[in-house]
Amino acid sequence: MRGAYSLIREATASAMSQRVASVLTILMLAGMVTAVMFTTGRTVAAEQQVLSAIDQAGTRTIQVRAEDDAGLTAGVLDRIAHIDGVEWAAVFSSATDATNAVNTDGLRVPVRYAYSLDFSLLKIPAHVALPGHTGFASAIALDQLGLPDDAGALALHSGEVVTVGGRLDVPEFAARFEPLVLIPVAAFTGDEAANILLVIAESPELVAPVAAATLSVLAVEDPTRISVEVSRELAELRSLIESELGSFSRGLVLALLATTGVLVAAILYGLVMMRRKDFGRRRALGASRGFIVALLLTQTALLAVAGVSAGAGLSTLALIALGDPLPGSSFTAGVGVLAMVTAVTAALVPAIEASRRDPIVELRVP
Amino acid sequence: MTTLLEAREISFAYAEQAPLLDTWSARFDAGSVTALTGSSGRGKSTLLYILGLMLGVDSGEVFLDGEATSLLRDAAKAALRATRFGFVFQDAALDHTRTVLDNVTEAALYRGEDRRALESTARGLLERFAVDLAVDRKPGQVSGGQAQRIALCRALLFQPDILLADEPTGNLDPATSDLVVTALRDHARTGAAVIVVTHSPAVANACDVELRL
Repeated sequence: MRGAYSLIREATASAMSQRVASVLTILMLAGMVTAVMFTTGRTVAAEQQVLSAIDQAGTRTIQVRAEDDAGLTAGVLDRIAHIDGVEWAAVFSSATDATNAVNTDGLRVPVRYAYSLDFSLLKIPAHVALPGHTGFASAIALDQLGLPDDAGALALHSGEVVTVGGRLDVPEFAARFEPLVLIPVAAFTGDEAANILLVIAESPELVAPVAAATLSVLAVEDPTRISVEVSRELAELRSLIESELGSFSRGLVLALLATTGVLVAAILYGLVMMRRKDFGRRRALGASRGFIVALLLTQTALLAVAGVSAGAGLSTLALIALGDPLPGSSFTAGVGVLAMVTAVTAALVPAIEASRRDPIVELRVP
Repeated sequence: MTTLLEAREISFAYAEQAPLLDTWSARFDAGSVTALTGSSGRGKSTLLYILGLMLGVDSGEVFLDGEATSLLRDAAKAALRATRFGFVFQDAALDHTRTVLDNVTEAALYRGEDRRALESTARGLLERFAVDLAVDRKPGQVSGGQAQRIALCRALLFQPDILLADEPTGNLDPATSDLVVTALRDHARTGAAVIVVTHSPAVANACDVELRL
């Protein structure tokens, strides 16, 4: 422990005594990290935003449509609950027309009963005052119904009156059902007839297997009256973006790392050449080759920490100031670790060269 | 007397040059000061490096405490240099980027010892050789004679068993030279073997043994 502490102190003192080379090394690593953050970092951040948008748009959604006499019921939800890789599922009943209860001659909007074990994804409260008799309407539906205050009552075609419990923020995967009014039902027998089954997989990669598993547990009476829609095109687009941008980013990072590595090695090699007498003296006084290598590598690692910290900090601040998206802490940390490993690896050859300086050659007075 | 270091029939030549040493032998006993004398270019400094395990021989053997050293690995030789030997190089060979005090305590790094714990001893040595005022200066800010005395302080810090000094009085006035010679003799009295390369007849006369090359 004391040896490590002494080594770090000596490496720090050594770095401080070679200010020009130390500052150059720090600037180079800071520049490298900044360059990565401003190029690959921004690409990664943009990629994350695009992928996030695609995911929201329904990359992971599986939609099953069943005709009225197909035999799809809410009981399918119990079976789907046992499938791995399912994030959420719900079934919608067939639509029934409804009007504003105080203006039954007004525009009609479709109303559906929604059956699910979890309504959080639809942002519907878990508990409502009148379960099964309270509906939530989208902004479009509220506008068409003439309910600007997000409250009122709906008269269903069946004669039933339903209270409007609030505004429904329609998620992207349900946007196709607009204008949308849902009456959430959390307690159901399983025998309720359904027309639409929505299943969201945990990740785009799981869409295909989850879709296959879902079809196997539909238990419908007439499979020919079932149609399945999987957002395959979006999934493919997502995969394409991920791989294209990923390979571009990796290539850029590798090029920058290689350039930085060569420059660090060049600077350290020059430093070793300039200070060969120093290493010769150290060897003569009893420093082992291992000590010399450890000293130079520690010195480089300390400079790398300073350079990477400065580069990451300044570039993050600059990206924030410019209003650009940030690539995330894991990306920044990864770039930092890569830069440090590159610098230390690049220092290895000059360090070994320094450790092999012959004390006699360096100390002899001509 | 106990022989600490022995050169037995050693021969050495730099590449493509005439031999500097040809089956040369000598013993260096504990408590003695040996002067290596001779005209320039006869291999005195080279012999010092060979005895200090920095340079291998073409033939023959160097024994330390009766043990052959030629087959020792580089790390073992470095460890011996750090723990058993003290060196005063011809041009002092100080680190010009560090303070005088740091220079004196440098070898502690290679011995795995705490430099700070040795600072008091180092200051005492610097005071003894009248260079204590320069303790926080860099070697570039002191004279050649002061640099040589600082190098001697560095060599004496750990009271080495074997002290090798290459013209330690070369840059010194007669009074300071006497101070250094006295210090070398005092160190030998602690049981160390002291080997001094010198062109000075006065220094050679003050030594117990003179070996001419």
